[in-house]
Amino acid sequence: MLDNVTVSHSPHISKPLSTRAVMIDVVIGLAPAMVMAVVLFRLRALILIPTCVIASAATEWVCNVIRKRVNPAESLGDFSAVVTGIILALSLPPALPVWAAVIGSCFAIAIGKMVFGGLGANIFNPAMAGRTFLTASFGMLMTTWMVPATVDSGMPEVAVSQAGDETIDERTQATPLAWSKQAIKGEREAGVANRQFLATLVGATGGCLGETSAIALLLGGIYLLIKRTISVHIPLAVLVSAFVFGAISYFINSDAYISPFVHLTGGGMLFCAFFIATDPVTAPLTTKGMWIFGIGVGGLTMLIRIVGEYPEGIMYAILLMNAVTPLIDRFCKLVPAGGKPNG
Amino acid sequence: MNVKIEGRLTFPGGTHPPQSKDLTRKSRIVVAAAGKQVSVMLSQHIGAACGPVVAKGDVVEAGQKVGDSDAYVCSPVHSPVNGKVKSIELSPHAVMGRSTAVIIETDAENNPVRQPCHERFGADFSAEAYSGEQICDAIRESGLVGMGGAGFPTRVKVEPNAKMPKETMIINGCECEPYITCDYRIMLEWTNQIIAGVKLAKKASGCSQAFIAIEDNKPRAIEIMREALGVRGESEGIRVVVVKTKYPQGGERQLIRSVLETHVPTGGIPPMIGVLVLNVATCAAIAEAVVLGGALTHRVVTVTGEGVGNCGNYYAPIGTAVGDLIELCGGLTSRAAKVILGGPMMGIAIGDLSTPTTKTTGAITVLTKEQIGRAKFAGRQTPCIRCGRCIEVCPERLNATKIAHAVKYGLLDVAQDYYMSACIECGCCSYVCPANIELTGHIKTGKILVARQKKRMPE
Repeated sequence: MLDNVTVSHSPHISKPLSTRAVMIDVVIGLAPAMVMAVVLFRLRALILIPTCVIASAATEWVCNVIRKRVNPAESLGDFSAVVTGIILALSLPPALPVWAAVIGSCFAIAIGKMVFGGLGANIFNPAMAGRTFLTASFGMLMTTWMVPATVDSGMPEVAVSQAGDETIDERTQATPLAWSKQAIKGEREAGVANRQFLATLVGATGGCLGETSAIALLLGGIYLLIKRTISVHIPLAVLVSAFVFGAISYFINSDAYISPFVHLTGGGMLFCAFFIATDPVTAPLTTKGMWIFGIGVGGLTMLIRIVGEYPEGIMYAILLMNAVTPLIDRFCKLVPAGGKPNG
Repeated sequence: MNVKIEGRLTFPGGTHPPQSKDLTRKSRIVVAAAGKQVSVMLSQHIGAACGPVVAKGDVVEAGQKVGDSDAYVCSPVHSPVNGKVKSIELSPHAVMGRSTAVIIETDAENNPVRQPCHERFGADFSAEAYSGEQICDAIRESGLVGMGGAGFPTRVKVEPNAKMPKETMIINGCECEPYITCDYRIMLEWTNQIIAGVKLAKKASGCSQAFIAIEDNKPRAIEIMREALGVRGESEGIRVVVVKTKYPQGGERQLIRSVLETHVPTGGIPPMIGVLVLNVATCAAIAEAVVLGGALTHRVVTVTGEGVGNCGNYYAPIGTAVGDLIELCGGLTSRAAKVILGGPMMGIAIGDLSTPTTKTTGAITVLTKEQIGRAKFAGRQTPCIRCGRCIEVCPERLNATKIAHAVKYGLLDVAQDYYMSACIECGCCSYVCPANIELTGHIKTGKILVARQKKRMPE
């Protein structure tokens, strides 16, 4: 017998790939959106993103201490808390106070992830769980949209609320989807939102920190696709189903319903399709399941946007589909390459 | 059957581990002499184990049968050397821990080193002179088993079966496992012998066509094979096909999928769809057994890896201790940390260098401490993030993470429900897993636990 020889199961070599590398790839994919957030919302982005990241990481550490982990900081090394923090920050309204962002991050990690047993065990996307909690708790703060720094604040679509002494207190701007909702209710014509299409590509509209710039999101999404960190099925299913839904409504009545292109570039559609719906932990495992999941997200989002009460619904759509993911996985069981065995 | 020939054929799934074949790719096959003793395992194949037909103290000759059985799925074993039976005792075995072997002390004075016989075969070899029955009997008597790794008795495979007639034969020259080059060297050096074996097997099995499948990372082998077959090969229904370099291309089921675009049914065997797959080394051995009547007592073994001094391909007696072969190559280096029977993807790590080689041992790979450290299994495993990479690479399209975790949590019925038994244990899922989870290991464990439940295996 030899002392210095190890034995183990095969295989004895492995691909140099870790969960941390996967998560860092997602952070890189999010980088263009973060840069655009800083360009558009300046200081607010610089404050909110680090706040959420730090609060998320700190919450995970505290949860690990409570769970009596030998090394509470160990699970931070996988960077999943960082990803959750960034995604949550990018999905928040730029004007949100820091304390609210901290509460959202704590909820996202503690209730969204750690109570289920940490990474890999959660049912709902933690960032979306945190954001839903904030929406339910601070509805007003979560629907106040700051004007991007690059937009001429004198333009008519910008509403200005003034404090008592005539100084400008805050400038806000309705999002393309808010206009869409008003158009559906007949208060405005859908053209207002459609004219904003080009602005939604760059990001010069009201909206959450990271969701406004379609080009930045596409860039990050394509990076993740090229690196094969995400597969194309879910984003494609979400976008195609939303587009089809939007196109049908547009052709029925183009005065009341906005163009399907604005549906794709406006609101959180691209952000969610590439970065949130693709969260592997809360999405189905099989290709067939991914299609069902993606079509479900796209369809439900459009149902909420067009028929429902809220202007934007992708957050709820993702959470609803997260909830049925175990069912989808059971339904879409893989059949082995050689077919089902006889008997 | 619909056969697509042009281009690089492949199967869905699989992965691309670094090949590391350059260590021995250019090493000619070197004849190795027998050591002081050889241990001939009584069970070197799938099926019933042999019983010894010699006793302690008997004098045996090279090629003499030392173990056999009446069972149909069985293959006799022979002594590779002239010598004396020292004992019949348990010997270390890579998979089973211990297994019975006939230990033969070699006669130091009278032991001519056995030479490969490829020079005896010319390009004009014809199988006409041999009847199918004759070929099958010779295969059985010489103790031939599948030399690619599975070790299924070749006679059982080749023999015509009225219930499952065979029509297509695929000769497996893929050698997709990293590091190993024994089949590659055989294809280059023993070309005519392989082709003779193919002709004999084709005749005995009644197949109407034969494909020699070679991965596209071995252009020289493809060229030499095509040249040797020449125009005549085509008329005899033997063709060389190029398959894509991808692991596990050489897996029987994957190769059939690549070449014939059909799947062997789950839980089934290739003859069910009229296919016979033989490894190139097995074909070479068939030629030797039928024409020269030699028993399978020697084979080519690649001794390789960064942990041995001089890598090479050796024509060595079956039953030689792994340690003896490593000594032949200059011994283990100080950095050696893992000795593997086979390649790094499917090979079995051994802890005892006195473990003898068997008919299915195509390689001994020695990995270094640094390589082991780099393999992520050295680190801690992190939770499964359900990224689905294991499913993407699975050549059998199984839900590896589901099966592995079911086994981990003792849910064997769930594991079986997700077709655990269809796993070919190729290791692709473990290889790609970003969370360091030894999926293949869990699945292998699960299979053993199920076998125990069904009382097919001792506790």
